[in-house]
Amino acid sequence: MSSHAPAPPGAEGSCADCHCSGHTPPRRGFLYKFAAGALGLLAGAIPSIAGLAFFLDPLMPKTRKAGSGTGGVVKDADGFIKMAISVEGLPNDGAPQKFTVFDDIINAWNKQPNQPIGAVWLRKINNQVIAFNVTCPHLGCAIEHRNAQGDFYCPCHTSAFALDGKKLNQIPPRDMDSLEVKVEGHDIWIKFQNFRGATSEKVVT
Amino acid sequence: MMQQLLAWLDHRTGIKGLMHEALFERIPGGARWRYVWGSALVFTFSLQMITGIFLLTAYSGSTQTAWESVYYIQEQMTLGWLVRGIHHFAAQAMTVLLAFHLIQIIVDGAYKAPREVNYWLGLILMQIVLGLGLTGYLLPWDQKGYYATQVSTKIMSATPLVGPALQTIAQGGNEYGHATISRFLAMHVVILPAALIGFLALHIYVFRRHGIHAKTPLKAADATFWPDQVLKDAVAALGVLAVVMGFAIFKGAELNPPADPADAFEAARPEWYFLFLFRFLKFEAVEHLGLAFGAIHFPGFLFTVLAAAPLIARVKWGHKFNVAFLWLIAGGAGLLTVMAIVEDNANDDHQMALREAERDSHRIRELAQSDTMIPVDGAVSLLRKDPFTQGPKLFAKHCAGCHRYEGHNGRGRLLMTNDPNDPATQNNPSHAKKVVAQPEATDLADFGSRDWMKAVLLDYSKHFGPLKNAQWFKDDSKAKADGKEVEFIHPDESEMAAAVNDEYAKLLSKPENADDLSAVVEFLVAQRNRASVDKIDEKLAARGQEILNGGKLKDGSEIGNQCSNCHDKLGSKFELTDSGNGYPDLAGYGSKEWLTAFLKNPGSEQFYGKKNRMPAYGDKLRSDELELLVRWMTGDYFPTHVADYASRKRELPK
Repeated sequence: MSSHAPAPPGAEGSCADCHCSGHTPPRRGFLYKFAAGALGLLAGAIPSIAGLAFFLDPLMPKTRKAGSGTGGVVKDADGFIKMAISVEGLPNDGAPQKFTVFDDIINAWNKQPNQPIGAVWLRKINNQVIAFNVTCPHLGCAIEHRNAQGDFYCPCHTSAFALDGKKLNQIPPRDMDSLEVKVEGHDIWIKFQNFRGATSEKVVT
Repeated sequence: MMQQLLAWLDHRTGIKGLMHEALFERIPGGARWRYVWGSALVFTFSLQMITGIFLLTAYSGSTQTAWESVYYIQEQMTLGWLVRGIHHFAAQAMTVLLAFHLIQIIVDGAYKAPREVNYWLGLILMQIVLGLGLTGYLLPWDQKGYYATQVSTKIMSATPLVGPALQTIAQGGNEYGHATISRFLAMHVVILPAALIGFLALHIYVFRRHGIHAKTPLKAADATFWPDQVLKDAVAALGVLAVVMGFAIFKGAELNPPADPADAFEAARPEWYFLFLFRFLKFEAVEHLGLAFGAIHFPGFLFTVLAAAPLIARVKWGHKFNVAFLWLIAGGAGLLTVMAIVEDNANDDHQMALREAERDSHRIRELAQSDTMIPVDGAVSLLRKDPFTQGPKLFAKHCAGCHRYEGHNGRGRLLMTNDPNDPATQNNPSHAKKVVAQPEATDLADFGSRDWMKAVLLDYSKHFGPLKNAQWFKDDSKAKADGKEVEFIHPDESEMAAAVNDEYAKLLSKPENADDLSAVVEFLVAQRNRASVDKIDEKLAARGQEILNGGKLKDGSEIGNQCSNCHDKLGSKFELTDSGNGYPDLAGYGSKEWLTAFLKNPGSEQFYGKKNRMPAYGDKLRSDELELLVRWMTGDYFPTHVADYASRKRELPK
């Protein structure tokens, strides 16, 4: 780019008090241009970089995890939540029962104690309890239990699963998402997790 | 390749010509530092756009989330403090740069023909920038912004004819609420910035039309904007950035406690660049002429004269008048600003209100960072339920008429009264000299502590001495002297005073009985049941109980059962239903239960009975207020590291 700058058209005629016509702008060295460009860029880059780091805050590891003990939710160190139902409360024939899971919700600066965070299907088989997340691994609708057919069924895209969670057609990418369960005395503890939909692998979100 | 691409692009867009136009503006007499103000302003505005857009990605505008999201930005998010700090201080820098720019334009005569229109465009830009400052001040929804902006919207309502409607529209209702935040946010992030960009484009367009107004005499050969003036502008921009970041890093953008419409902030002040207007409105003469005159008509008149500068400049001496007028306004505003600051610094109430805001703002951070975090009904609810925050306020309101807390009223302030030696106190009380008022009851800062107990046992008359300053005490003493039958607590003559002064104090202060004094104190302190603070020595306390129930002291003497004769619940379990005899029940003395029962009815038989002169607070305080007050006084709240008000005992009258 040449630094010999002709006066922009229009400026010449209207310039009422220019003392400059006829002057030729002096040629400036590369260093001068470089300094002007670099300093200008720096002045813009500093706030932009700070702002970008701020914007990417959600990617930073968070120190604060959903706690327990303030809202009546009982949760152990491994993240198992104690359910309101006891083992005795589940039918002995293994019929699935749906329960809401409660936990404290951390929402940026807010903590909302004891909020419904999801639901599970529970079955008791030979005094063992198995649990499934009600969310369909296909596209995230809530799976229902069909008593007549004796299966699990998702009304959105007709995914069907056996009562042990095995998929019965090709619509869902994987079996129902089973959850870890601990039975201690009469109490049922569940490690409630949600998983990514529409993949054959079970990935915690 | 690059050349070809550029040629292709230029053919389609004419970009080369545009760049030429933008960059090779001629500067007669060469680049100069005095031309940087406009560019510095454009840079600062870009700074505001950058940081503002990022802040908008985290701000949440409602009365339950505005302060909370700003707190979250400031305290929790990556570099949030820096981004907000830059935005906060760059806003102030912009006002300063505006002032410099205006001064340069007027002094250099750059406002004169043919640049009148551009000068007026500049004045419009100035109004927009001030509008941005005003609207941005409210958005954090903290005490300072909330109450300062209340003043602005009230001023708005003083506008002739349309004032009240204007205020309601700006607020989005008759009172501040969600709608106020939404409207101020829309103004701050869309309407005003869009207007600013539009007017700025016009400003630069018109500026380019006439070129820069070169300051004569020219000092060098002509130069072009790029790179000569750009380099100077870039250095200026970096300078502005350095100053702004310096403030952001070393001072930090403040965040007052969350706005509480029920708890007026007495130290509310506008942003410092509006202080001159604030101070101007405080003149009695101005106040007398009405808010509309002081806040609208008079400033409007000054602004009109400023706007008329290019026209005034046409007449002889016109330019000199304009320059003089500008310096007059600048000087006047500067003087008023200094006055406002100096007066506030000398005003104890103002300083203490600031101190309280600082205490509350540290405390709310502590609570918000605790495991409960912030409930959905907002941070202000945390403060409202916090004994450490509310206790002092309740104490100041209900107790500090007679009692003190470390010499102050609970909120760090001294109680003042008209000087009895000033004749004006009788003739013209509102103009009388103020002096620190005498306490009329005990200082409660160490209520129930070892020091307190020791003072009651050894120095009863002095400990309860302030009672003698009370009007009831003077009235009762007079009635008694007149031969009337009255019962009241007399620090020098009551039964307790006599017993202490004649017997216990002498016995217990003997050197050989030092351990026994500690034992008695230990037992009495144990009554308030604050093991974590008091760290009671159980064995020592048991020994104290033994002494008070007739046990022998080290030197062989004994107090006997003189204490338990009157204080008949000494050391046994405290029941609210226990009957009494007008001597304070000492079981659980100073505990939460004791204090609650006492405050509800200090004149009941289990406390002072007929001798009592303290009002009963059972029906003066709501039950939640009573609980907050008692929990504060007994230290029952989420532990704090916030520094409390400094003691002011030394400032009390002797």
